[in-house]
Amino acid sequence: MPADSYAVAITVGEIFRPRRAEQSGNQNPIMRGSLAAQGNRIDDTSLIREAQQGNRAAFEVLVRHYDQSVLRLALHLTGSEADAQDVYQEAFLKAYKNLGSFRFECSFYTWIYRIVTNLCLDHLRKRNVRKEDAPVAVDASGEEYSRIEQFADARSGANPERDLMRRELGRKIGTALSALTPRERMVFELKHYHGLKLRTVGEMLNTTEETAKNTLFRATQKLRTALAEMR
Amino acid sequence: MKCDWVQQNILFYVYNELEDDARYEVEQHLARCPECATELKATRKLHATLSQMPVEEPTPNLLAASRMRLQEALETTRPGGLWRRLILEPALWLRQIRMSPALAAAIFIVGFGGGIGATYNFISTRGGGNGVVTGSVESGSGISSTNQPLESSAIAGIRSVTQEPGSNQVSIKYDTVSTQEAQGSLNDQRIQQLLLYAARNNYNSGVRMDSVDLLTQAPDDSRVREALMYALQNDTNPGVRLKALDGLSGFVRQDPQVRDGVLRALISDTNSGVRLQALRLVEPMKTDSNVRSVLARLAQTDQNVSIRTQARAMLAQMPEMD
Repeated sequence: MPADSYAVAITVGEIFRPRRAEQSGNQNPIMRGSLAAQGNRIDDTSLIREAQQGNRAAFEVLVRHYDQSVLRLALHLTGSEADAQDVYQEAFLKAYKNLGSFRFECSFYTWIYRIVTNLCLDHLRKRNVRKEDAPVAVDASGEEYSRIEQFADARSGANPERDLMRRELGRKIGTALSALTPRERMVFELKHYHGLKLRTVGEMLNTTEETAKNTLFRATQKLRTALAEMR
Repeated sequence: MKCDWVQQNILFYVYNELEDDARYEVEQHLARCPECATELKATRKLHATLSQMPVEEPTPNLLAASRMRLQEALETTRPGGLWRRLILEPALWLRQIRMSPALAAAIFIVGFGGGIGATYNFISTRGGGNGVVTGSVESGSGISSTNQPLESSAIAGIRSVTQEPGSNQVSIKYDTVSTQEAQGSLNDQRIQQLLLYAARNNYNSGVRMDSVDLLTQAPDDSRVREALMYALQNDTNPGVRLKALDGLSGFVRQDPQVRDGVLRALISDTNSGVRLQALRLVEPMKTDSNVRSVLARLAQTDQNVSIRTQARAMLAQMPEMD
């Protein structure tokens, strides 16, 4: 073989999916995935079906529909960029591996959040064992910073007294939240900070709306007492 | 007693979780019961206090880093759906075979043949016991084909099975998946065509990376440059995008389209490594007004500190143009 020769092995033809051949024609699935990314015209259902057939590009488009809110939730709950990143990674890998078992019985949003909330609950349980404090956050490089302090700086401008009060309040809220059970914290988080309906919260946590309601009630009572005691 | 019920539901009233009729009842009661109105006030105050703990948006850097890490992991992970299909679908085929002996015979015959999306005519003779139209599974043996059978190929799908009326001729249209190998020099047109295809379409980012790498050796070809631009803009893997950027580096000066593509990457690529490389490439061209306006924007508002400072430094070194 001459020095500038190369051997290229390439799979020619459609991927293995005989039953879909009639419906989808010859169009390359990767190309369709990227078109979906560009135009956002193809809804989740078709993306999910394609991803279930092994189209990774379609899965990546799906990820991008949901990943920002997943990261937001994980970040607020764990208070740490590194932990939030771990939850993100684990959640989407788990979704990818179990995509075949998604049967469209609930929305994909609920399904992915069910995975995320389970992982976050595990995380909260572990942390409760370690008894760490909530409002101190750790960024991706492992450096500690206070999310409350950052918030106070951004909002109060040049008023140090108000700044101090805000910081103090933030610390109190953080402590009160970390005193909740992981499940109470999760229900409260999804309802109060992410504005989800209790029916959806129930679905995500594999329970009823009524149970979610009771948990929210309990959580709020505890928070109220805790914050009153701190005053 | 009414007060008990209302006080139990004030929280859900504040969180907008009551049915219309319950909501109405609560509102009616609150209007005339000062005690419950005080409770509402306290609940609202608690709600407002707790809302002071902000929900921050993840920073673009965190989001980009998370996406990149996930992409890397996905490359070595298999989706669950595929395995399920590989197990389930042959079972479905078998059911069909049991239901329909004629189709069963056809599928078995096709199992011995091969070809890419081609139509072959299988000739069968009734007397010889190998006709498709007899419809028995045993008759599938000993087919004669107009082409040599490609045993290594797998059948991806049967498009149609038709029998010519009044004869024993059966025509089956099917797709195959087969691995083929092409060898040749980089100048070989077929090799180039395959590389261009691979750079855009392959599932495996390693293959895309190799293809883009080889293509960068011949960027003079306009089709190659186009493929590199496509990879820079659309490839999901930052490594491939970086490779494409390297391949385009010699053309930033002479080809305005390449320059615009690199600027696009500089502004909107999710990976900061790719962006930094793009910034390096456009530096010699900073007298171009497009480049200058992009640099000015980055210097002021970019989220990434190192891009912001580098852009600032580049602008500071620039001779005044106007």
